[in-house]
Amino acid sequence: MKHQIDNIWIGQKDLENDKDFIAESNLEVSQQAVTAADMTEHLAGNRRDFLKFLGFGLGAATVAAGCDIPVKRAIPYVVKPEAIVPGVANYYASSFVNGGDFCSILVKTREGRPIKIEGNDLSPLTKGGTSARTQASVLSLYDTNRVASPLMKGNEGWKSSSWADVDKMMMTTCQSSGNIRIVSNTNMSPSSKKALSEFSAKYPNAKWVVYDPVSYSALLEANAQNFGKRAVPSYHFDKANVIVSFNADFLGTWISPIEFAGDYIKNRRIDDVTKAKMSRHIQVESHMSMTGSNADNRILVKPSEQGVAIAHLYNTIVGGNISTSGLNDKAKKALTKVGGELKANPGAGLVVSGSNVVAEQLMVNAINNVLGNYGTTINMSVTSHQAQGSDADFAALVTEMKAGSVDLIIVMNANPAYDAPMAKDFAGALAKVKNKVSFNGTVDETTELCDIIAPGHHFLESWGDVEAKEGMFSLIQPTIAPLFDTRQAELSLLIWAESANVDKINPQPYYEYVKNNWKNTVFPVQNKVSSFTGFWDSCVHDGVFNLDKSSGSNSFTAVTISGDITKPSGKELEISFFETVHIGNGQYASNPWLMEMPDPVTRTTWGNYLAVPVNFDGVKTMVGFQDLKDGDLVELNIGASKYTVPVMQQFGQMPGTVAIALGYGRTGAGATGNNIGVNINPDVLLMNGYRQNFNTNVSISQKTGEEKDFSCVQYHHTIGVKGIDTATGKEINADEAALVFFDYFTGVKGFQGALTERSVVYTAHVNDLANSIEGLTKKRKHAQHLNEQQIYRGFDHNYKLGHHWGMHVDLNACIGCGACTVACMAENNVPVVGKHEVARHHEMSWLRIDRYFYGDVENPNTIYQPMMCQHCDNAPCENVCPVNASNHSSEGLNQMAYNRCIGTRYCANNCPYKVRRFNWLDYTTADIFPGNQPKVAAESTPFGADNLTRMVLNPDVTVRSRGVIEKCSFCVQRIQEGKLAAKVEGRSLVDGDVKTACQTSCPTGAITFGDMNHKDDLLSNKLESPLNYIALEEINVRSSVTYTMKVNNRDKSLDA
Amino acid sequence: MSAVVSPIRKPLVTGHKTYHQITEDLISPTEKAPTKAWTIGFIISVAVLAYGVFCILWTIYVGIGSWNLNRTVNWGWDITNFVWWIGIGHAGTLISAILLLFRQKWRTGVNRAAEAMTIFAVMCAGLFPLIHMGRIWLGMFILPYPNTRGPLWPNFNSPLLWDVFAISTYLTVSLLFWYTGLVPDFATIRDRAKGMRRKIYNTLSFGWTGSAKHWQRWESLSLVLAGLSTPLVLSVHTIVSFDFATSVIPGWHTTIFPPYFVAGAIFSGFAMVLTLMIITRKLLKLEDYITIEHIESMNKVILVTGSIVGVAYLTELFIAWYSGYVYEQFAFFNRALGPYWWSYFGMMFCNVVSPQLFWKKSWRRNITITFLMSIFINIGMWFERFVIIATTLARDYLPSSWSLYSPSWVEIGIYLGTFGLFFTCFLIFTRVAPVVAVAEVKHILKTGGDQYVGENAPKAHHHHHESH
Repeated sequence: MKHQIDNIWIGQKDLENDKDFIAESNLEVSQQAVTAADMTEHLAGNRRDFLKFLGFGLGAATVAAGCDIPVKRAIPYVVKPEAIVPGVANYYASSFVNGGDFCSILVKTREGRPIKIEGNDLSPLTKGGTSARTQASVLSLYDTNRVASPLMKGNEGWKSSSWADVDKMMMTTCQSSGNIRIVSNTNMSPSSKKALSEFSAKYPNAKWVVYDPVSYSALLEANAQNFGKRAVPSYHFDKANVIVSFNADFLGTWISPIEFAGDYIKNRRIDDVTKAKMSRHIQVESHMSMTGSNADNRILVKPSEQGVAIAHLYNTIVGGNISTSGLNDKAKKALTKVGGELKANPGAGLVVSGSNVVAEQLMVNAINNVLGNYGTTINMSVTSHQAQGSDADFAALVTEMKAGSVDLIIVMNANPAYDAPMAKDFAGALAKVKNKVSFNGTVDETTELCDIIAPGHHFLESWGDVEAKEGMFSLIQPTIAPLFDTRQAELSLLIWAESANVDKINPQPYYEYVKNNWKNTVFPVQNKVSSFTGFWDSCVHDGVFNLDKSSGSNSFTAVTISGDITKPSGKELEISFFETVHIGNGQYASNPWLMEMPDPVTRTTWGNYLAVPVNFDGVKTMVGFQDLKDGDLVELNIGASKYTVPVMQQFGQMPGTVAIALGYGRTGAGATGNNIGVNINPDVLLMNGYRQNFNTNVSISQKTGEEKDFSCVQYHHTIGVKGIDTATGKEINADEAALVFFDYFTGVKGFQGALTERSVVYTAHVNDLANSIEGLTKKRKHAQHLNEQQIYRGFDHNYKLGHHWGMHVDLNACIGCGACTVACMAENNVPVVGKHEVARHHEMSWLRIDRYFYGDVENPNTIYQPMMCQHCDNAPCENVCPVNASNHSSEGLNQMAYNRCIGTRYCANNCPYKVRRFNWLDYTTADIFPGNQPKVAAESTPFGADNLTRMVLNPDVTVRSRGVIEKCSFCVQRIQEGKLAAKVEGRSLVDGDVKTACQTSCPTGAITFGDMNHKDDLLSNKLESPLNYIALEEINVRSSVTYTMKVNNRDKSLDA
Repeated sequence: MSAVVSPIRKPLVTGHKTYHQITEDLISPTEKAPTKAWTIGFIISVAVLAYGVFCILWTIYVGIGSWNLNRTVNWGWDITNFVWWIGIGHAGTLISAILLLFRQKWRTGVNRAAEAMTIFAVMCAGLFPLIHMGRIWLGMFILPYPNTRGPLWPNFNSPLLWDVFAISTYLTVSLLFWYTGLVPDFATIRDRAKGMRRKIYNTLSFGWTGSAKHWQRWESLSLVLAGLSTPLVLSVHTIVSFDFATSVIPGWHTTIFPPYFVAGAIFSGFAMVLTLMIITRKLLKLEDYITIEHIESMNKVILVTGSIVGVAYLTELFIAWYSGYVYEQFAFFNRALGPYWWSYFGMMFCNVVSPQLFWKKSWRRNITITFLMSIFINIGMWFERFVIIATTLARDYLPSSWSLYSPSWVEIGIYLGTFGLFFTCFLIFTRVAPVVAVAEVKHILKTGGDQYVGENAPKAHHHHHESH
């Protein structure tokens, strides 16, 4: 006998190490010839068999022919493009820009299709973070509503045209026009500005008007007065120990939220519990904004009290005697205290305000100046370009248009007929403008009123540049050839201006234009690279170029605070309007990913909901304003306008105020975005020409009905808010009492502890950290002790051998912005289901951010808890699956074999974290029955059923069919990619090789993913914090996701 | 006969029947044209069944999304109905097998119909696990058969797989038992029939001749099947209860479930048998075969099992409190006082409070009360499953994911459809087979209570009326 192997063997020959056999088996394809003799034996048959086969074949063919299987053509590359390796992604540095929204990004492309946006670590501004809007922008590239060619309006609506015709027509129009006006949102592109100036030089009657959907006019004006620069300063939230924000949603929407969130959290996360220190954040507002929800303290003031609230702080800090009558006493007391705290932290405080009243912003500037914050937490020497709009300019434009003195208006990436404060006036006045051209890529409300559409590229098809902050340059490079017959808006302007700087014969004229502009402007002022080609190549490669700007002056010129501040209305009810994190003021309403993303604070999707205050009745009910409940319809009267809106009981909403989001009720947002919610823009106030996002002339009817599809993804919002029991006068757990629907006449006040004793979230105060940690440790030890008392051995020993994937989520860093949820949808082909399905709790999100309110029922604190599959090593979903579709990998991953799933849903029932998602209907529009595809909104073809939208799908992730369960996979495709890359390079995996989509999207770095067996990695380091806990640890599912205890720095004395 | 004169044992068959009369009474319904009541009932049943079939096809075509289940409550009416029907299907085996082994002769009056009911109920029940699957067309994945995927076997850890075996075994054994009992009766029908009908019944009776050998084998087979079925009575619902008990969901993860489910199943099974029997004996005029004695015996079983169930409910509450575990405590708190309090209240009232009426003998023997009570119990036991499934799932560990659930028209339609299926089958059964086991009833005519001389004794000495 030959030498025997002791490994796995197949058959005797293998066991005996037969040489021929080994040689044979090492070949990929068997070399053994199939001889004719084999075949005759194999195919031997007689007449009867022949008839049998014939009959079967005929029958099978008949059956098969009955099914209409669509032919799908895939054409391989005949000549392989140099940069593309099929199956391997390419990343290109670029920038996401929309008005003032900016993010430096890497675009992931597969086989030439952009499919995912990642943050660019090299950007000093966004530092690799992203936002939900950034993440979703790739979907708008494949928007079926995009205009496919230049259009001209004829008698019978839009007619396709050609660029030659448009250019010919526009050149004559421009020549013959008197006043030409270009209206746009904030424009941060130096090259674009150059193009605009060339256009203005050619046509001296042309003027560029900038406005913003949510205005920062007053802030800019105040800075112009104090610093001689009409600009936004740099804010450094990381350097502030006390942050006071008057209604500025700086983590969600205000100016530069990605940058601010990253900075803010630096001074909030607790890396060393022995030296725990965090900033105190006080938000002064009426409506619970996302930033407010992250604050330690909220001081409630009505929208019309904003001015006197600022004035009160001004009086306290700067000194002065501005009348503050009308400010509620509680706020007055609290603000006086806050003033003291600010004064105690000179140069380490930061006061910001979302106010759009010049006098109020002047006061804020004065406060910061007196506190010595300029030069430390605020820097006016490096200004931001992220807000440029002027309400006054826009108002002047409307006046001009009304007077009929504008001959040509060019709309450039703006939608003033919807989002401007005087939208209706603008739309009406547009009729008096002779020629109207739009560069917008879709037929939005403004474009609909124009005569010519000269559609611009999507930013992923464009060349361009951005200077979001002075000296911080970014490039935009195309990642796909234009999908449609569109043209860069700037190029159109240059062509119409007959610019000498445009080489029309060049295939990419605007590329050359941007490049030349950089050669003449950016390149000469730097001294890092000597050759322009080298400089340019590195800039395109990196996507960013940072000019070290020598710090300029922060010299503050005091001005007398004159002019009106907002007068407290004294009315019983006021309404505030706010921009949401996902939809903005409607700019993103046509994006189904963002429409489906739950609002971080209300957790509602697909529509705007009237936030009404809610309070505990002292017995056992949470009572909404006028007894309104979630999903009730009411008639909202603002001035002469009437809206029918659904209601949301909003914790933290100030009594006597209500709030509703801007940006909904659009009519030009395409089939999936139209008529979702109501458009509240017509009722924003103007004060001295400045847009004010509130109204005091408001009333709300009693309940008129119920919302058909109340699409809120979280029904229970609190985890132990406390209120006063009217019977005993004692503090009880209000929402536990409110869980009782029928008490059998016993007067039971809930089951106290039902929510607070849950091992789902833990909270602590920063000053009481040691005690809280002790309590947590004790509880965890007890749970671990119980978990050891079992006879089932488990497979833990397996996971110690290779990789053991795990995740750490720092709840102190999570601000709830939702970037990760959209990133997850994009990465994992998670379907959009639409309002009706969300209302039925059929949302498919693999990653959600649970939001809980805790503490004082009237003015609670908030926890955001990203919740995804916990990849339990003793997973309850796995043992109940009858077909092993849910199973465990040797690396600790909980896997789903979609093809094996028969859809019993037992796994979803048995998941304690409720993260498993079932394909209730044919959400991916891939079913064999074409008639059963649900529609997301009113679209004619179900969303995603067309080949254009499907281009966004990630080819590495299976699209799931109807009837199967799906859930977070820890981005297993990325793990696999990382492993393969390491294998090709002949090394073992190192920290950072594998990052999940949620991790890379996070602007604050709240999520850390890695191999728990690598003891030196970042994850293992984070896993050592005593703040850590495992959700529901005592049920012994042994989850692989670790959370941290949420720590706040609430100053209880402000509540008194 | 040789029997001892008994002052206490009341006759199991009243009305001084002769063997021939029994044959006439029980076989003739299969020979006559259907009554008007039967025809109307049959039309309604088939119509309801057709609607149910439509709803099932709709579910398969559109998807489970045509139901109102959601990411939190992944089982609703489907599994509620499944457990309910399975529970109802318990009385048949109990009566056939356990009572046979215990020599409870009164069982012969009701066992045939109860067994038929069992089979039809199990058919209705079996429908739900099938159609609740997202991809029913891949349902064969659940069966352990050699395949080319590895081979890839089902997950033997999963209680759902145990269900497949438990229910299919139960259906098979129940079917065999039922059919075995039918063989001599089919032969009786055959002997009275002519032409095609005779041929059919000849086939159905497997050429039964009534020879001593046949009877001997028949008796042995019945006994063997009874032996096989007896553990099934306990195992089927025990395994169904594992669907819940082996989970980690508070309110499901309890060790009390197996006995509690079995008691509940017998409870609901007997209630359903009573509902049907009371109607059948009236319509087919079988008051002499299904007597008040039968009804009282069954009511006693209901009283016992209902009380067991009641104790189980209270034990659950006690253990929840005693566990000191917040999720467990809240789960039961929520059942009783939460948004679905009415279903818990309904369950408690129908299952625990109302059967206590049966402590009183005259109420046990009152047909109206019994009938109402049987309906109550059917409703109550449905509530019990709804409470266990929907109420528990709606509010489990993470408050963020709490939701509510109410059925869609499709789910209601399918439930109605199972009634259609059940009654269609039952009505056909009453037309093709004797609803009372003829051979077995004849067997007890002379042994049970024949010599009864108590106060309710018939005036004539019936031993003078011996068979012709």
